[in-house]
Formats: sequence, C-alpha cells, structure tokens
Amino acid sequence: MRDFIFKRIAAIIIPFICIYGFYVILHGASAAGGSFAGGIILGLAAIVFSTIYGLKKGKKKFPEKVLFCIESYGTLFYGIIGMIGIINGAPFLANKLAGIDLGIPGTLTSGGLIGLLGLGVGIRVANTLLILFFTMEGADS
Amino acid sequence: MISAITTNLPIFVIIIPLFIAFILPTFSRRMKLVEGVVISTETLWLLGAGYLASVVLLQNGTPIIYNMGGWAAPWGIELKVDSLGAFFMIVVTCINLPVALFAKGNLTKEVGAKERVTRFYVLLLLLGGAMVGMALTNDLFNVFVLVEVATLSCCGLVSANSNPRASEAAFKYLILATLGSTFVLGGIGFILNITGYLNMGFAHQEMVQVWQNSPHAIWLAMSFVLIGFGVKSALFPVHVWLPDAHSNAPTPASAILSGLAVKGYIICFLKFMYTVFGQNLMQQFNMHKILVLAGMIAIIAGSLFALTQNELKRRLAYSTVAQIGYLFLGLGLMNTKGLTGTLFYLFSHALIKSSLFLAAGTMIAATGKKKISDLAGVGRKMPITMGVFTIGILGLIGIPLFSGFVGKWYLLLGSLESGNILAAIVIIVGSVLCAAYLLPIIRIAYFEPAPEKDLRDPALPQKIALIMLAAGVIILGILPGSILELASRAAAELLMIQ
Repeated sequence: MRDFIFKRIAAIIIPFICIYGFYVILHGASAAGGSFAGGIILGLAAIVFSTIYGLKKGKKKFPEKVLFCIESYGTLFYGIIGMIGIINGAPFLANKLAGIDLGIPGTLTSGGLIGLLGLGVGIRVANTLLILFFTMEGADS
Repeated sequence: MISAITTNLPIFVIIIPLFIAFILPTFSRRMKLVEGVVISTETLWLLGAGYLASVVLLQNGTPIIYNMGGWAAPWGIELKVDSLGAFFMIVVTCINLPVALFAKGNLTKEVGAKERVTRFYVLLLLLGGAMVGMALTNDLFNVFVLVEVATLSCCGLVSANSNPRASEAAFKYLILATLGSTFVLGGIGFILNITGYLNMGFAHQEMVQVWQNSPHAIWLAMSFVLIGFGVKSALFPVHVWLPDAHSNAPTPASAILSGLAVKGYIICFLKFMYTVFGQNLMQQFNMHKILVLAGMIAIIAGSLFALTQNELKRRLAYSTVAQIGYLFLGLGLMNTKGLTGTLFYLFSHALIKSSLFLAAGTMIAATGKKKISDLAGVGRKMPITMGVFTIGILGLIGIPLFSGFVGKWYLLLGSLESGNILAAIVIIVGSVLCAAYLLPIIRIAYFEPAPEKDLRDPALPQKIALIMLAAGVIILGILPGSILELASRAAAELLMIQ
C-alpha cells in the first residue's frame, strides 16, 4: 500500500491516534478506558504505520531488540512501581498508604501511582500487539 | 528491612519468580548466568515457602492474610496463606528446584538452540509462580487469571521440543485446556451472579444463605467447575490430551507437567468445592458421590491403559491418569483422613512422578530408544538412574517405608471411615495394577542381558536432582512428620467450613 494519499493521511492521523491512546491510558483511573484499551490504540497506531509505510520501515522504526527489551522490562517496571508501597512500609501496590499525594479527586493526577502503572502496562500491551503483528507477518512471507 | 521482607513474603513468593522469568530473555545467550539466576531463585523461593509454612504451622492454623494495596476484602484482592496454601507452596518449590537443577547444562541437546533453553526456564518460572499464586489467592477471578498463565506456560513447555509430534500434542492440549478455562470462567460467572462476590470467603457466606433461590444455577456452576478443572487435571474421560503432551515434552518439562501442573488445578478445584460451595452444598448436589465414582473409574481405566503401552514415557503418562483418580477419590470422601490422604498423596505423587520422568528421560537419552523392551540391562550400567527409578516405582505402588504408602494408607482409612468398601477395594486393585505395569520395567532393566553399548549415569547436577527427589520419597515415607501435620491441618480446616 505505497499509495500517496494513504501515506499523507496516515502521517496526519497517526500522531492524533497516539495522543488519544495516551489520553485513554492516563485517564484510566478517573474515566472510562484504561491501560489495556489505550495500549491497544497505541499498538494499532504502530500497526497502521507498518502496513502503510511497509513492513521494512516499520521494523526499522521498532527494532526487534527494543521490542523484546520492553517486553521484559515493562513487567519489571510494574514490579518496581508496586515496590514503592513496600519501601514506604505499606503493602504491595499501595497507593495512598504509600504516602502518595492524590490531589483533587477527578483530576489527572488523582490516580496516584495508577497513572504510572497504567503507562507501563499500556506500553507493554502496545508492544505485545506489535510483536504479534510482526511475527504473523513474518510467518506469511 | 528484614521485617519488610517477612511481612510481604506472601506476595514475594508469587511475583519474584514471575519477574525473574520476564527478565531472563534479555540475557538469553549467556547460558551459565541464566542457569545460575534460575537455580538461586528457586533456592530462595524454597526457603521463603518453608519460612511461610513454618509460620503457619506455629500459628496453629491462623492464616496469614495479605491485602494487596492495603484494601481489605471484599473490595481488595486478598492473599491467604492457610495450611492448604502453605502445603501446596512447599510442593511447588520442592519439585521446581530439582527439575531446574536437572535441566542445567543438559537441555540444549534436547531442545536445540540456547534461546529455546532460556524459553524453557522462563516458562518453568512462570508456571511455578502461577501455581503458588493459585494456592494462595483468595479471589475467584485471580484464580482464573493464574490458571490461564499456568495453562499457556504448560503449552509452551510441551512445544519446547522442536519435533512435529510435540507441536501437535501442544496444539491438542491448547484447544482442550482453553475449553477447560472457558468452563471455569463460566463457573466463576455463575458464582458471581448468584452471590455478588469474588472473594471466596464472602461468596461462601452468601452462597449458604441464598442457594435455595437458585439451585439449578448452583448445580450448573458446580458442574462447570468440575468439567473445567477436570479437563485441565486430566480426569479420566477427558484425559485424552495428557499422554501425548506428557510423553512428547522434553524430559524436565514432562516431569514438571506430570508431577506438578495437573496438581495445581486439583488444588484450585479443592478450594472451589470446599471453600466456596462448602461441604453441605456438595452433599446436597451429590458432588461427593460423583467425585468418588469418577476417581474409581479413572484409577481402573488409567491403569488398564498403562498396561497396554509399550513406550516408557507413555506408560508413565497413563499412570498419571490413574493417580489423578486417587486424588479425586480422596476429594469425594469428605472426611479428615480422606482429605489428608489426598493432600499427602498429591505431594508424594509429585515427587515420585517427577523422579520417574527424569530417570526415564535420562535412560531414553542414553539408549536412544523409547520402548520398554529396549531397556534391557540398563540397571547395571546406570546404577543411580535406575536406582532412583526403582525407588519411584516402589513408592508409586505403595510399598511401606516409601511416601506413596502413607498417602494410600490414609485414603484407605478414609474410604473405610465413610463406609465405602468399593472405594477401598479399588484403591488396593489400583496398587496391584500399578505393580503389574511398573514392575516388569525393573525386571527388564536388571535381569536381562545388557547391550554392548557404553551407557553411563548422567553428569553431577542431574545426579543431584535425581537423588534429591528419591531422598524426598524415602524421607516422606519414613518421617512424614510436619508435612503430614500440615496436610491433616489443611484437611481439618477445609472440613470446618460448612
């Protein structure tokens, strides 16, 4: 699909898709959505890029090594955020008990650590989706 | 620092193996480092599990409750280290360590490239973490998630071998196990709909009060849970995936699958039946009779199938089907002795079957042949391997002074106590059949002329792993002590829930 119109439209739309994905992830604590839904949106943005600009360019933009590192350390990130609670003398995955200021309810930061957790999970979901896409595309050719 | 570790140990025993598993692929080419990390994790894990179990044992049955994020149940997710959880945690860690040790420096031959070996370790740790999680969690949906994690790791372990038969077996397992997961999820959905809770304790309290409003829904939930976990733990009529999957997996994988993976689902089933539905409801819906009947059929049919197999690993796999029958039979007896017997037999079968599979795999790798008749004279050339194999066989038959005897003895006492003479006879007939299909292997290995081929015992780590498992079988047989105490206390706690 090396069509000029496709490429231009994708170039305009993809940044907005990404912003929407991050929006859904970060508002997971206070609104509908969350890291899984947002992660899927982010992953789809990357898949749109790789289908329209070609698999070669897509793989160059998202190298396999980086994807595998995110796959591994994304989970570790979740663990580290969970450990903040334990370090501050509260249970695993504690939020307010761990001394995090939650601010005004309903605002972006009122989720405390959930925002960070969601970001980690969302990026990992996007990453997994992309790895699956690349694996299946590779098996086809 | 130390108090932070000990108070948070219930969550650490679940997440540390999972996180280590995810980090491993980043240095997958440095084999020595991977093996070192895995074995030290397993050792620390065993120590942690032992510490928690000793705390539970010393507290005289007061469980350790851990609330995730500080939110108490029913709002938050609760981890509950009771006697049952502590017992199964010990089982998981005691089997995982020798299996990881056995795989050290040995697996590359069997599965191919280094990355594939690392993948095996990743799946091993994921499976172990999920199993411990299943034993400790007190939340129904968590059970489902962990069951899924365990199932997918099992599929990966089966297909770790690169031959097409392993892939086919893994695919078959994937389809049937997914079906099982769907049933489990359906059962959980019914429970949530009836009671409005996902926490096991709260769901039980609500269930006892409202069950008369919707008996059919509860019956459906019960049978969904039975079928779901039955498929996953290879209860007889739905065992069809097990022989293929367990005999085609690489040796350490088949040891962990046959020894441990099927047991995790039985523990989940036990928790569903006794802590969510409760024994009154089980009796109301005749679930205990179904379990005893299914167990008896599985014992006889599994043993008869095992008798007809010529391949060593397949015979052992069918033997697992028969032994699963014992466990289900014990679950249906509904008395302390029967449940104690089930739990103890679960541990002893885990030790025995993993030692049998590891020894069998070693012999198959050395001789290059899969048939039992090709093992002639192996016993004299590989004394340690065949010695461990013999100890395992004697334990599985249930000879006194080996761990299988204690478990079978309690099962027998339990079935006599519940007045079920037929179950008692089936237990004994099962032992006789077990002797009939396993003792010929000893005869062939020791008393037939040896081949010219140069056969040798495996390297040091493999020897240590085999001897650890065999020592476990003998120690549990002679001094069951605190493990039996933990099992009987778990049984008593389960039966206290009405």
